[in-house]
Amino acid sequence: MKVGDLSVYIDMSLLKPFSKLPALNAATILLVEREERFQQNLADALVGDTTVTVNVRLAKSLPLPMDNEESRPRIDLVVFIINLTSELSLKSAEASLKYLDPGYFLGKVCFLATNARNTSVPTERLDAMRKLAASLHCPLLFAEDQTPDGVNSATERLLTVLKVAAGLVPTATALYLSSLTRCTIPPDIDQPSFE
Amino acid sequence: MDDFGRRLLQRLVRRTPAQALKATLGKWERLTVAQRQSVDFTQPKVAVMEQLVAIFEENGWTVKHITELEMINYMENANRGMWHAFQMTDPKDDANAVEMMQFKEQFKSHLSELVRHVSVKIKKHTDEALWIRIAWGDSYSPPNHLKPTYVVHHLQTPYVFVTSLNSKQKPFLVQALILSTGYQGIKDANLSGQKLTAIRDLLMKQYQQIFPSKYNSPLTEKNETVSNPHIEREQSEHASKRLQMACEAFGDGIVPQLQTAVYKLETKFRGDANTNRTMTKREGPFRCLVKFASTNLLESFRECASSGIASTPVSPLLSSITLKGRNYFVVTENGLPSSQT
Repeated sequence: MKVGDLSVYIDMSLLKPFSKLPALNAATILLVEREERFQQNLADALVGDTTVTVNVRLAKSLPLPMDNEESRPRIDLVVFIINLTSELSLKSAEASLKYLDPGYFLGKVCFLATNARNTSVPTERLDAMRKLAASLHCPLLFAEDQTPDGVNSATERLLTVLKVAAGLVPTATALYLSSLTRCTIPPDIDQPSFE
Repeated sequence: MDDFGRRLLQRLVRRTPAQALKATLGKWERLTVAQRQSVDFTQPKVAVMEQLVAIFEENGWTVKHITELEMINYMENANRGMWHAFQMTDPKDDANAVEMMQFKEQFKSHLSELVRHVSVKIKKHTDEALWIRIAWGDSYSPPNHLKPTYVVHHLQTPYVFVTSLNSKQKPFLVQALILSTGYQGIKDANLSGQKLTAIRDLLMKQYQQIFPSKYNSPLTEKNETVSNPHIEREQSEHASKRLQMACEAFGDGIVPQLQTAVYKLETKFRGDANTNRTMTKREGPFRCLVKFASTNLLESFRECASSGIASTPVSPLLSSITLKGRNYFVVTENGLPSSQT
């Protein structure tokens, strides 16, 4: 195989933010969740928004199948839903990240962590999650997936980010928003805490 | 009625809910209609007990009749205690021709030859199962009716289900069973659970099974949900395939209710040699016990596999619960679950 062939192959599997034209007054969000539980509730709530047409694509992991390439609209925001009680959930999201074009990391990716308050979550995993989000300059949102209220508030926050990322909000851009909302970690995160 | 009879009856009345007790008495053919109607089940248990004692004394009924009643009660409410399955092996030529009367006679005579004091009752349940109630005694003591062993056997099948069997009495029961059924050996089927029907269905494969096929099954249609046109699943074929695989492994519809699955690992520790030097350097096998517990284990496994929490195809370790009909495994170094007991 020649180098040229390989690069074509890699390009095909990468998801790109600007390879397609946007649709009028529409925004598309891609929800990636390994367990495929929360994403369905979230999707139902997201399409309920009346001001813009929200298209939701659901996936278990990246890369997305090539067959849907034609029918897939331009994806404005990629959300990785991570269930913090499961190590696999985090690992799967990490593995999926490399199928995103670097252009997405200029404000079009966000992480949504669930179950963060669960006592069975080791603090190391939460720290790993925060470090991952911080190193990619992405916002990290926390959500409650068990209650309707939790789903609604997560939906609202995602819609706000999505509208900006889709260019539907005048005077704001994804890059501008992300520089304000991205996850930062305190410098002493690796220090043992003395209480 | 003597003291012991009273105690036995009292225990039966206490342990059974009023409605179940009423049904049991209805099934018992000894009571006349008038007697049955005279018992008022809305009263407290103590009063019901007194009424029953009066009826028993009036008819001169003894412990024998109480055990009869207990047996009917147990047959109707079989999901008590822990049931263990045994499988008989090496059938002789006449094993398939054993008939009920012959089995009854032989079993009773063989067991009373082996144990001096033993009380055996055999009854046929509506679903063709033979129920055997054994109260054990020994050379010096009469049969203990407070701790009976129940055995369920379907004639012409190699399976026997036993509950509350003492290890001391096991050889006697095993020998009597082998001699009266025309088999030559018996082994532990490594299957146990609280529901008799569940372990019976699992062993006899009486649940809805799905067999692997390369064509799309009707399952995919079942799974389709009416969804919004704006929501699209990118990997939709995954979900239906996972469901198919999960159903192939654990069955479709209502699956037998198992409570536990136990894996005894006797394998070498595998891992990064640098991080865990003490463990990887060990010569002998790494022993540990993995136990899964749930109110309905197979359904939990199926749900885990179909929702993507567990990876598919399902590990052969898990799918052999249904495939081999057992829930206790010893995993040794060669990787396959061995059948050692």
